[in-house]
Amino acid sequence: MLILGIETATLQAGCAIGGHEGVLAEFHVSRGRRHAEVLAPAIEFTCRQALIELKEIGAIAVDIGPGLFTGLRVGVATAKAMAQALRVPMIGVSSLDLLAFPVRHTSKLIVAAIDARRSELFYAFYRQVPGGVQRQSGYQVGTADDLASELLATGHESLLVGDGAHRYAGTLGEVGGIEFGDAGFAYPSASALVELAHARALREEFVPTWELEPFYLRKADAEINWERRDAAEAS
Amino acid sequence: MIRAHSKSVDDTRALAGELAMFAKPGDVILLSGDLGAGKTAFAQGFGRALGIDEPITSPTFTLMRQYDDARVPLLHVDVYRLDRMQEVVELGLPEMLDAGMVALVEWGDVVAPVLPADFLHVDLDFGDGDDERAVRLRSVGASWSARMNAIGRALERWTV
Repeated sequence: MLILGIETATLQAGCAIGGHEGVLAEFHVSRGRRHAEVLAPAIEFTCRQALIELKEIGAIAVDIGPGLFTGLRVGVATAKAMAQALRVPMIGVSSLDLLAFPVRHTSKLIVAAIDARRSELFYAFYRQVPGGVQRQSGYQVGTADDLASELLATGHESLLVGDGAHRYAGTLGEVGGIEFGDAGFAYPSASALVELAHARALREEFVPTWELEPFYLRKADAEINWERRDAAEAS
Repeated sequence: MIRAHSKSVDDTRALAGELAMFAKPGDVILLSGDLGAGKTAFAQGFGRALGIDEPITSPTFTLMRQYDDARVPLLHVDVYRLDRMQEVVELGLPEMLDAGMVALVEWGDVVAPVLPADFLHVDLDFGDGDDERAVRLRSVGASWSARMNAIGRALERWTV
């Protein structure tokens, strides 16, 4: 089965196509911040260069976040629209899982951290397991100081990846035993998405289009108090 | 707090244009006032003064409109159709402010709890005559408060 992966959770937008043969084609751009303009042409280009027609695609995988809202909504909306049009199932994968997966060949504690803006990070901890990584914590949101104290408390040698780790390298670097991943691991990759999604597709872990939701990790449960609007509409 | 008086829709646009001179990347301005009080006119005057040439229309149905071709890129938001604070969070304003935009949020006062804590609140209320409006400007947080004296001077011909 061929899987199309769509990844727009950070400043980078990208897509990849692959299946049991591995990743066949991949496209990424991390400058310009024009996810809405770039994504559909990128998918078209990537398919064409890999000699793949859309009707051959058996599932759509998408990075569901956490990450930047402006990027995520473009990726998730595009993925849902394509899955619906092609009548194929979906697979949602977290951006932090995607960051951790490519650096799985380390015995260190893997810390994936995405820049959440306004002095905050989205982060999670991972350990190598056969064939991949296993998450050791919840998906969290906090400041670089919050993450630094958690790292200090674990006392493990760690490898930090993601644009959040790089942005706050100063604060995080004060904790001992820390190594930073290369700039090439700063953003989630669409090829990692296709690889992880392929493993899930083999286990038939699909999500129906209408159930797939972006994972924003920022909660505000209250209703808006609309006394004034309602009064205006009643009059 | 600055209290001002606008004589007409054009006067509201001119006042907003004067205020726009103080706008910096990352700024948030909340606009309140009943339907017809002039929130869109305010946004138009504000946007024109930022150097936006294209027409500025109400974002009520699109929720958000972005104008990149300006001295400071403008994000014109209207939360009128939203019902839950989570929907406001999902607009992702903080990251767009971080990217250097200034946000003008219509009906923003009712969703202030989930917006950045530093903002200018502009309230438009009906005045005595049909076209007259009472305009109140209130700063919350250090960034706008530091600019209030200068803004008061710039708006002198409207202040009451």
